[in-house]
Amino acid sequence: MNEGQLDFLELRGITKRFGDFTALADVNLSISEGEFFTLVGPSGSGKTTLIRILVGMDSPTGGEISLNGNVINDVPANRRPTCMVFQNLALFPHKTVGQNVEFAMKIAGVAPATRRERANELLELLRLPADFYSKRINQCSGGERQRIALARALAFDPEILFFDEPLSALDYRLRKTLEKELKDIHRETGKTFVYITHSLEEAMVMSDRIGILNHGHLIQIGSPDDIYNRPCNKFVAQFMGEVNTLEVVRAAEGRVRHVDSDASFEIISDVNDFESGFLIIRPEVMKIGRAAAELPNQIQGVLFNDYALGSRVQYQVRSEDGESHWLVERLQDDPFAASPGQSVTIGWRPEDSILVTS
Amino acid sequence: MKSQRQRRIAHALIVVWTGAVLVFLYMPMLSVVLASFTKQRYFRFPVKAWDTRWYEKAFESLSVRDLFWTSFSVALLVTLISVVLAFFGALAFARYDWKGRKLYQRLILLPIFFPQAVLGLALLLWFSSLGITTSWQTAVFAHMIWILPIVTLIMSIQVYSFDPVWEEAAYDLGASRLQVLREITLPILAPGIISGAIFAFLLSWGNFPLSLFTTGADQTIPEWLYAKMVSGYTPMVPTLGSLTMGGAAGFLLVAFVVMIVIRRVKQGKSNQLR
Repeated sequence: MNEGQLDFLELRGITKRFGDFTALADVNLSISEGEFFTLVGPSGSGKTTLIRILVGMDSPTGGEISLNGNVINDVPANRRPTCMVFQNLALFPHKTVGQNVEFAMKIAGVAPATRRERANELLELLRLPADFYSKRINQCSGGERQRIALARALAFDPEILFFDEPLSALDYRLRKTLEKELKDIHRETGKTFVYITHSLEEAMVMSDRIGILNHGHLIQIGSPDDIYNRPCNKFVAQFMGEVNTLEVVRAAEGRVRHVDSDASFEIISDVNDFESGFLIIRPEVMKIGRAAAELPNQIQGVLFNDYALGSRVQYQVRSEDGESHWLVERLQDDPFAASPGQSVTIGWRPEDSILVTS
Repeated sequence: MKSQRQRRIAHALIVVWTGAVLVFLYMPMLSVVLASFTKQRYFRFPVKAWDTRWYEKAFESLSVRDLFWTSFSVALLVTLISVVLAFFGALAFARYDWKGRKLYQRLILLPIFFPQAVLGLALLLWFSSLGITTSWQTAVFAHMIWILPIVTLIMSIQVYSFDPVWEEAAYDLGASRLQVLREITLPILAPGIISGAIFAFLLSWGNFPLSLFTTGADQTIPEWLYAKMVSGYTPMVPTLGSLTMGGAAGFLLVAFVVMIVIRRVKQGKSNQLR
């Protein structure tokens, strides 16, 4: 994972402005060789702009990009030892699968027989049958096209492979399969992968490290575990999916008071220097019914509804005054029985909540 | 629910109708061909005596050769110039979003709707006021004004379905601008370029009103046909008319064969390494 050079790709103060609009503000980042790094951000966060700058399709207004110690700001895309898998894949419609895969080698002047051999190796690596070589692109399914696009990029033998949300157009199940496959390909090839996506969930599955981008600022960089368990602010915490967010103020050492309900809760947190903040409690750490009875942080509420999520069941619990909603999840095999309208106790352990100050 | 019989009747009617339309469209042309092979001076149906001497005369005649070369030179030049200009014109029309594009899209198509006779007259007046002597070269210019918009439109249809990200991908994979053009842009747009060229050639080859006003002392085949119809008709008129049609048909056939050969060669290339 991190055995390679630590500052293989380095971004120093990358800024991009379009007129008055700042798309990227002072982005600093270093990516190590062989790493799977994912940039995550909502649409409009600047992630597409950033990746276009990194592949050389666009140039930054300010800042410096260096690859392997050499500044590459002014190197055009066709001279950079990097390449990208495009969002819509951009497979050449007039060429066969084989010709698509061989394109970079043809441009580089590799002999046809060698090209052919390498293309077949790549098709095999990507688990595509050999007869795909002479197929036309429009005869291939969505998942097959993903693999062809990846094979075409790998045939270029790039030092860094960029991905611009190539999986976003696929249905959920195929996406889940390909996410894992991509991580396996990363393991098998040992290449440096830089991936962008709007889905933190997708990033979690694949990445060694994740960078969160919002409004052109890189707000947190860390391992999936860091991002999930130690989000730097409310935005990052909520980005992963549904969470319970409580606006709180400091009440005493190890205690906060919920602004809306005046209830106070016990916390365990490294953050001590704060006056107000948000308490984040993920639905899956919440307990319901008897499991919540012994916990120091408890709330009485009314079960409003339940949702089956496959391996888990999610409950929506409303406070008695109906002002606040809570999401609680439990595993299928935890014993619990209640029907909507019943009063229930929910709660969580102090160490399971996350305090963020902004 | 339609019965089997009703469906059969409907089918028969469709066949009859299609046949009638085809006869209506092609009968006049066929009668020109028949007229060129008759022995009599004027065409009568059915043809009683056949003769090919007007074809022999046509092939021997130097003036026919001149007519052919004039028509051919005009059509060829119009094709070459308009394909190049229309290629860039189509990129501006369908690919790039620029200020004034909407206006350009309307203006460029306008000449198609001008009455050609009026356009020809206007050009003649314009040429003479500029002191330009009209000849087959000025006719090339005149044809272009009417044909270029059509070719631009035909190519634009192809350009609309072209995704610029293909070029970016090729560039990203190491291709130079020139290689991108040769490997990606031109091959993908080739069908549009070829059909544009075919249209340009045939529209120029058969054009009469613009040529009439702008060729000056030179004469194209359609002009000669018209002049001979007005005075001095001989079976040479339908003969040359048939030859013109034959030329156009031959051109289409060649274009068709070229397309098939290109496709074969492409497939052969991807198969030979199997």
